[in-house]
Amino acid sequence: MAQVYFEDIKVGDEIPQLKKNCSTQQLVLWAAGSGDFYQIHYDKDFAQNTGLKGLIVHGALKNAFLGQLLHDWIGEKGQLRRFGCSYRGMDEPNQDILCRGVVTKAYADGGNHFVELDVWTEKPDGKKTSPGTAVVTLPSRS
Amino acid sequence: MTQATNSVITDEMRAAIGVEGPQAVLEVEKTNCRMFARSVGHKDPVFFDEAAAKARGYRGIVAPPGFLGTPIFNPASGSGGAPGEMGGRGYSVPYKRVLNGGTDYEYFPEADVICAGDTITARTKISGFEESEGSLGPMLITRRETTYTNQHGKVVAKMYGTLIQY
Amino acid sequence: MADEFEITDEMRAQFGVDSAPWTYEVTTTSVRMYARGIGSDDPVHYDVDFAKSQGFRSIVAPLGYLGTPVFLPGKNDPTFGFPRREGGPRLNIPFKGLLDGGTETEYFDVICAGDVLEESSHLADLKLRDGPRGKMLFVTNESVYKDKATGKVVAKQKLTSIHM
Repeated sequence: MAQVYFEDIKVGDEIPQLKKNCSTQQLVLWAAGSGDFYQIHYDKDFAQNTGLKGLIVHGALKNAFLGQLLHDWIGEKGQLRRFGCSYRGMDEPNQDILCRGVVTKAYADGGNHFVELDVWTEKPDGKKTSPGTAVVTLPSRS
Repeated sequence: MTQATNSVITDEMRAAIGVEGPQAVLEVEKTNCRMFARSVGHKDPVFFDEAAAKARGYRGIVAPPGFLGTPIFNPASGSGGAPGEMGGRGYSVPYKRVLNGGTDYEYFPEADVICAGDTITARTKISGFEESEGSLGPMLITRRETTYTNQHGKVVAKMYGTLIQY
Repeated sequence: MADEFEITDEMRAQFGVDSAPWTYEVTTTSVRMYARGIGSDDPVHYDVDFAKSQGFRSIVAPLGYLGTPVFLPGKNDPTFGFPRREGGPRLNIPFKGLLDGGTETEYFDVICAGDVLEESSHLADLKLRDGPRGKMLFVTNESVYKDKATGKVVAKQKLTSIHM
């Protein structure tokens, strides 16, 4: 993506979407990457014995997807200040997870140009599974 | 709204607010930064390629968003769990079910950016309790805050966690 | 097509042709993860102070662990992590099944966290055998690991994979 500047955006803008679709292999990679080896993410029998229908995607991985959504948008000159989400709905492997964000505030403060966003992951039917917020700073052309 | 149930927040719990828990040491290295970035699906070379990261002015490979290092795993001391061990958590709560309400990460790039080669110390405290009544019945919401300090004494990140018990 | 697979002279010509080198890193976190993965309790793999008290530079890589190849998206195999690089063997293998046929490691030094190694490999052997379900291709690669700082060979490894 070309570097985005503070002057390029306005409240209500949606940032470029990031589509994810986790294979079970990705869930194992995430176990290695996060250090969370909880079996509900890679052992189907185990997951079902805890009452789940099958394997589920870890909430923290979806949170990290939102981190990538923001990182890729702000570019080399932007800075990620804060991001996170609530783990409301469950997502399964081999299903599209769409990461989206909308600008809610944009303001200058103390030499920095802040942009606040609502960010979330959603299922193919549009249901939001991990609603959250973010704060970034963008470079300014001024 | 009339509160039909009594509060489960005790004086003991109130006394735990703000008490920092034990220190956990986390290591940020090239191998674990790359592994985290690879597992998320990041493509930016700044999380993988040391030369690319340095060309962009960083000390080394940058820790991807959400990655704050790997706790030192030692089977002998039983350590290696993620930080989150709360200070003063000697209380119990009458709710049997627990939900992870979510996690927020805050960064302080003016202080420093977390890069491979850093050693981070993390401490967690309870920052507050709330109660509410919802579709799941009465709930206790516990807010926790973990502070991450690097080897130069700079606070480089904070993690805010929400636990829902009902 | 798998049934018709034959080892050709063109494939044999690749025996002994060294690949471009790749960097393998041994870190405290990766040593501990490997040790944890095999279920080892030995503090020499976890506790830096203990390892140093035993005369090692740092925690010792468990036997079999020769570092983690630098992973760059698009440059490394996404499943196995090995680098795809210049000069590596080019084989078109039409078999769907893949099994690990075994690994032999020879050590010339102790490998510790903090070491940065340079690895280069070559195709060493190809053998075609008949198995119960058809042809089986045994591919043997040999790797040499050198300490990047000193240039000394610290380990050699022979890996066999079975395609069927």
